[in-house]
Order: sequence, then C-alpha cells, then structure tokens
Amino acid sequence: MKSRLIALAIPMLVATAGAQQVERGGTLQLAVDQSPVGLDPHVATAFSTFVVTGQIYESLLEVDANLKIRPLLASKYTRSDDGLTYTFTLRPGVKFHNGDALSAGDVVYSMNRVKDPKTASPLASRLSSVTSVKASGPLQVTFTLSKPYAPFLSEVATIDIVDQKYVEGGGNLQRAAIGTGPFVFKQWIPDTALVLDKNPAYWAKGQPYLDGLKFNIVPDASTRQIGLQGGTYQFLPNIDASVAATLKTAPGVQLLRSQDLAYSLLGMNVSRKPFDDPRVREALNYAINRPEIVQGVYFGDAVPGGPIPPALKTYATPVSNFPCYTYSPAKAKDLLRQAGYPNGVDFSILTFSTIKTVSDAAQVLQAELAPAGFRAKIDIQEFGNFVQNWRNSNFDAFVSLNGGSVDPDGQLYRTVVSGGSTNVFKYKDPAVDALLEQGRSTTSNGSRVRTYAQLQKTLACRGPAAFLAYGALYSATRSEVQGFTPNPTRSLAALKTTWIKR
Amino acid sequence: MLTYAARRLIDLLVILFGVSVLVFLMIRLIPGDAVQILLGANTEVTPEQIATLRHTLGLDQPVLVQYGGWLSGILRGNLGQSVWTGAPIGEEIMARLPVTLELTVIPLLLASALAIPLGILTASWRNSGVERALRFLTIAGITTPAFWLGTLFIYVAFLIAPRWATIGYVPFSTDPLGHLSRMVLPVIALALPLLAGLIRILRSSLLEVLGQDFIRTARSKGLSERRVLYRHALRNAMVPLLTVLGIQAGYLFGGAIVVEQVFAIPGFGRLIVGAINERNYALVQGSILVVTAGFVLINFLVDLLYAAVDPRVEYR
Repeated sequence: MKSRLIALAIPMLVATAGAQQVERGGTLQLAVDQSPVGLDPHVATAFSTFVVTGQIYESLLEVDANLKIRPLLASKYTRSDDGLTYTFTLRPGVKFHNGDALSAGDVVYSMNRVKDPKTASPLASRLSSVTSVKASGPLQVTFTLSKPYAPFLSEVATIDIVDQKYVEGGGNLQRAAIGTGPFVFKQWIPDTALVLDKNPAYWAKGQPYLDGLKFNIVPDASTRQIGLQGGTYQFLPNIDASVAATLKTAPGVQLLRSQDLAYSLLGMNVSRKPFDDPRVREALNYAINRPEIVQGVYFGDAVPGGPIPPALKTYATPVSNFPCYTYSPAKAKDLLRQAGYPNGVDFSILTFSTIKTVSDAAQVLQAELAPAGFRAKIDIQEFGNFVQNWRNSNFDAFVSLNGGSVDPDGQLYRTVVSGGSTNVFKYKDPAVDALLEQGRSTTSNGSRVRTYAQLQKTLACRGPAAFLAYGALYSATRSEVQGFTPNPTRSLAALKTTWIKR
Repeated sequence: MLTYAARRLIDLLVILFGVSVLVFLMIRLIPGDAVQILLGANTEVTPEQIATLRHTLGLDQPVLVQYGGWLSGILRGNLGQSVWTGAPIGEEIMARLPVTLELTVIPLLLASALAIPLGILTASWRNSGVERALRFLTIAGITTPAFWLGTLFIYVAFLIAPRWATIGYVPFSTDPLGHLSRMVLPVIALALPLLAGLIRILRSSLLEVLGQDFIRTARSKGLSERRVLYRHALRNAMVPLLTVLGIQAGYLFGGAIVVEQVFAIPGFGRLIVGAINERNYALVQGSILVVTAGFVLINFLVDLLYAAVDPRVEYR
C-alpha cells in the first residue's frame, strides 16, 4: 500500500512559560459548578465529566488551542491515498496509571467498546465509517473505512483510550479511572471534590508541573467568585462573559479569553406552520438584530456567526456575505406577506433557564421580532422537560445553545442532514444532503472549502435555524497561575503545563 | 406508654410505605427519564441506543414490576444502586448522614438553648427598650432567608478575615480545626432564623399562660415570681415550642438545601437535588425515604417529650 506521511512526530507542547522559569509543585484548586455524573469517558455526555476525565485519559490525537490536530498517544499517523486506511503508530513506553503498558490492543479495545451497541456510547456514530480496527503491530493500529471520511481525525481525537486489562478485569470506569494522562485519579468525595495527583511516570518528561489538581464542587456562582477573590480557589474554568465581567476589576485575578465554539440559535420546526415556508424562515432572519443580541445578551463580548463558527477560519463565511444578516423589519414583513401572512404570525419559543445567555436571548428576540410581525410567546421549561420536548420536536421554535465542533462536518451533518440524530427541526433538503455527503467524503481541502461555502449560503438565511452569536469563553485564575492557554473546545489539557508562581 | 410507642412505630411503617409509593410515582411523573436527561441535548445518540440503555437500566419494565423489585430490595436492606455510577445508595446516604446530622443538631441545640432565656426575657420585660429591640431583631430574623445570610456572611468574612476558610467541607476526623472553621458560618446562618422563630413562639405562649387563672392562684398563694415563671408558666409554654422544634428539625434534616449550596457542603439536600436533576430514580427514592423516616422519628420523640414537660399528657 502506498502511504503518504501526514505528520511527523512533533514535540508536543513546548513549555508555554516562555522566558519565565517554571516553578514546580503545589496543588491547583479549581472550582466547578457540578459533580461529574460518572467517570466513564465513553459513556459520559456531561461537560462536568470531561473536565476531569480530560486530565486522566488521552486520545490518539488532540486538538490544540488553535484548533489544529496534533499527535498525542500516536506519535505519527499515515493515510492511504484512497483515504480508506489510516495507520497510527503509538508512542513507545507509555504506561497506564496502574503500570500496564499501553499497547495497540488497548486502542482496538477502546474503539470497539465505543462501537459496541451494549456500551450505548454517544460517541459511536463518530466511528460509523470505520469497518475495522486492527492491531497491525505491538504499537501499530490500522483503521479501515468504508468510504473516505474527512472528519475522521477530528473524531478520533475525541475518543479516549482505556486499559483493556483493567476494564475486562471488572474495573468500573464510572467510579474509578485508569488512563495514561498527566494526572492520576485519587479520590472522588461526593458533592465535595475530585482529587487528582501528578502522574510521576507521565511520558512527556518533566510534565506535569503541578503536584495535583483538586476540582472543588461549588454549586453557587457567587460563592465561587468570592472564593476566587479570597484565594480559596485559584481557577474557575470556562465561565461566560457575564461572570467574567464581574471579575474584571477584582485584584489578584486574571481572565484568560478564547472564542467559544458553542453558539446560540433559534431553531424552527419546519414540519409545522409557519416555519415550513422557507420565506418565513428568511423573514425571521431579517427580523433579528444580531448586534443588539451581542450587546444585550453577551455584553458586547461575542460575534454574530453563521452555520460554521468564526473560529474555524478556513471554512467560515464572513457574516457580511449573508444578506439576511442585515437587520430589516421591512424586508421581513414583505417576505411574510409573500408567504401569505400579511398580519404576521404567532408562535411559541421553547427554552430553559439554566444558561443565562439562552433565556436572555429568548427575551431579547421576543422584543426584536415583534415589530416585524413575529409575535412570540416564551415557554421557559425545566431543563429535563426542555430536552424531552426538544428531542421529540415538540415545539414551534426553540432558543438554545449548541456545542460546536472543530470540523465543519461535525458542526452541520447530524444537525441538518435528513433524519440526522440532532435534526430536531425535521429539516429535509436533498440538495443539502448531497452537499453534506460530499463535504465528508472529499479529502481535498480546496473543494471541501467550496462545498461548505455553498452549504453556508443555503443554510444561513433559509435553513432550519437562525444562527445568533458565538460568545467568548473565559477562564478566571489567580494571577499567580501561569502557563495555561484556554482552548475553544473547552478542553483543560493545558493544565499539564500550568504552574503556580510563588 | 410501651403500647403507645409500638403503635406509633406501626404508624411509622405505614407512613413509610405510603411515601415509598408516592415518591416512586412522582419522580416518574416528571417529564424526561434518566436516559434522556443524561444523554441530554446535542449528542449523537440514536433512538436505538436510548432503547438499549433504558433496557439495561430496567426502565422499560412496567412500573409495578419496577416498584416490586425496589420494595423487595428495601425489605432485604438494599436501597439499590445509583443509575449512572452503580454506587450503592446506602453508601451515598451514609456519606451524607453525619454532615446533615451535624447541620441539624447543632443549630437546633444552639437555637433552643438561646430561645428559652431570650423568650422569657421578652415575655417578662414586655415593652422595655431591650425587649423592643429584641422584638425587632426577631422579626428581621424570621423574614431573612438563610441563604441570603449565608452569602452575606461569606462576603463579610472575606472582607474582615480574608484568611478564614469559610467555604467547603472537610471531615472532623481529618482536620478538626478546618472542619470547625468551615462550620461556624453555616451553623449560624441556619440557627439565626430558627432562633428568631422560637423566641416569638415562646414569648406569645408564655404571655398566654401568664394570663391564665392558675398563675393568679399561684401568685396569690405567695409563690415567688421566679417560681411562678419557671415552675408553672414555662413548663406549660414549652408544649407549642416543642411542636415547632420538631417540625423545624424535620426540615433541617431534610437538608438545608440552599445553605448547603451556598457553602458547598455535601449534605442531604444537595444529594436529593442532584438526584432529581439527573433523574437518578433509585437515589431520589432512597434518600427521600430516609429523610421521611428521620422526620417521623423526630416527631415521635417530640410526642414523648410532651409528657416530660406536661404531666397532663397521657399516652394511651
């Protein structure tokens, strides 16, 4: 088989400390709002789980702060010319926290565990194009795909490698965690804290710099803030702009900013009137004043965005290219008239209250939409209730926050393809489906960019969702915390090069 | 007395049975089951996967079968397992029990120990300046929510003593000083509103008793004012105080949820709230059952105490 070398072994993370001398030791006190639901990285969906498991487990590849895919447990990988075979070479000498050596078998086992319907892993669909995973050497794994699949590498980067021997020996991954990562799971004190210790045998020499991490579970937002100001906590990961604003002037506190991949949206049910008519959907886009949402909901700390996050610079079309992003109630009224609604439309917006930007956006939208003839009633529901109605497409429209993806396919495919797992809009467009298939099977970068440009043009104004804004994401730390780079994916992997200045 | 106790214990079992049925049904009436909540929005889960998971967790069985399984487990002393982590529920509850007991018993003792002298004071020094000031404070105390007091305390403590560890929880056995340092504020935040309420009740019941005929008789037969107050009036006025104390103790035992949230203390309240949010059915059922048992037991004790303070109370 003719193979092409894609990436060489790159020394992973050069110490980000720059000119400053790294100081080692100490336990970093983090404050998070929720307990993890369980620790199994193949089963979890809660962000509260990934914050912790991300320190314990590692994948073959990782996505860095610039959204570049880099080798992690794999030191290199090759792709066959037909795009159907990927071969990963594992870093030698990597050990799990219990001393077991990492082998190709563990990678095969982890992938099959995710694919196994009995695991019911939400990650399974990411491997749907993979027909087989085989150990082609003690440190070599070969993936065979049924068809070329462009987002393959970014999907593999989300699947953690677990220890086959440990799991098959009866280890319960929901309550304990054995990985290869920079930190070792030590203790889970329910509703109090998760304690991780430094992995002294970590494969990257000299890392991590800290002796340990303590994730304190602090449900109350003002307690977390006072705790940070008083020095009880040193790190509040991934807080939104409104909380960051209150900490801006606090002495001894620094804010680290990155662009969020997650976006707020107003989703529409295209199987119901009035949003079954693309003209009504376009009218709604004209009726939305996005700069006002950025100001009113995000305190100016966000950017209006289209179907693909602005952080994915290669793919995102600038919003100035979407005509319907220019606020115009007159155009909206006109389109509504053409669609047969000269007196406007009545509909209800389903939403929930646990994320402030979401419920605020719903209220701002309600006020903005009215002059154009969209009379909205807001229905705020308890989150569990919301999810159920959302999943069953039991809504006229909804306002929510969608997690983003580092690949345009992950961002759009399952959300808008006919019958897609999160296509709750019931959107069906054969032309869009064809483009989506083309986007995931083309491996040439130039033609991928063109395909997604076309998709964005179709989806921005007449698609099933009005994309609103991409917010900023902050981590607030004590000023003595050094060496952390925030990541748009919300990953805290950079904690392994974080240190505390004394 | 013994037959009375036995009868009350049988009542307790009946109540617990009723509660078990209610809790079991109610948590299932809330929309969204554990599988849907946890897989949440925004995941790539297919309906087939949801069905598989629901089957694994036994959620696809008829409600009666699920209930039967749960009840027979309880009768064998097994409260079941957490839906997601598989942790035994008995363990989860036992981890919270000492914390919750501490947050129940100390504020209760503190509040009742202070309520008796202060209640007597307000009743016997009616309309003096001190009494008016106390009355104002008790009304303020009743109307101030404990969680607001909590946030205020943390903030003020941060301003006056930035090094004082006020947030979180460490077990007494690992760090006695750290434990006490963190318990001071939540205990006061819980005790103050309770104390204010108790003072008001004791004051009004004392005033009522002091206006009754037997007090006039006691005074006219030449008893000292002290003796009238402590021996005759106070014992009679204690009955309503005990009733309120019993009910409040029950609430505290159920978890001073908001105070636990504010101070990040791992008590019963947070266990239950978390379990409800996750639709962790077995955990909700188990912990509510334990809280109910506690509530009923406390009130049973209060009933027994009535006889101790008021000889007219007889148990049949």
